[in-house]
Amino acid sequence: MLNILVCCANGAGTSLMMKMTAEKVIKSLNLQVQKIHHCSLSEGKSAAPQFDVVMCPLKFISMFAEAEQKGTKVIGLRNVLSQQEMEDKLKEQGIS
Amino acid sequence: MLREFVESKHYKFAREASSWQEAIRMSCESLEEDGVIDKNYAQDIIDCVTKYGPYIVIMPEVAMPHSQEGAAGVHKTAIGFMKLEKPVSFDPDDPEKDARLFFTLASCNPEQHLNNMMKLSEMLMDEKVVEALLEAKSPEDLLEIQEKLLDK
Repeated sequence: MLNILVCCANGAGTSLMMKMTAEKVIKSLNLQVQKIHHCSLSEGKSAAPQFDVVMCPLKFISMFAEAEQKGTKVIGLRNVLSQQEMEDKLKEQGIS
Repeated sequence: MLREFVESKHYKFAREASSWQEAIRMSCESLEEDGVIDKNYAQDIIDCVTKYGPYIVIMPEVAMPHSQEGAAGVHKTAIGFMKLEKPVSFDPDDPEKDARLFFTLASCNPEQHLNNMMKLSEMLMDEKVVEALLEAKSPEDLLEIQEKLLDK
């Protein structure tokens, strides 16, 4: 069961969009997900190591370097509404 | 959703904006006129973009200006639409961050906001709707797109 975190600068707009894209992708890949949490970067930065996967706009991936070292898979997205991009990047990380 | 923009007059059509900052101010106008947001909100959004970069351009051509949930000077939960004829650049090094369509978010009610965001993401995931919006020039066009592509 995966725990997924989606983060954007404020945790109110872009992260919600990512969450909705993620919900569609999870269905189409038939992933077993325990929860998807959306939040701001400041909250996400400290919470990230507790999650299996973190997704954020591409520009912010460096914020999660620490979590990545601890084993969290970090995915940066160019287009937060693209199901295709999210699917491809999850597969690249070996999640499918 | 497009019908709501028209009925509540939360829309603006303009030729161009002199900068992305100006575009954000313009995108807030219809919401300001309706008392959804105070004047300070546009500056809040601009400060966010200055601080974090143009992440509000969520896909090519589409910007979603917003600050945080429950931000100061937000009195209602709504989305304001703006269409520019000429794209405005948010990042001179990245043409994918040019935008013509603006969906400005105001939220003080999380539940209503979530509902709005679901409608908005459904709409933007439909390429035909995005293409049609890029061609739209008037509120009548918005209503036509609503009827032809969204009311099914």
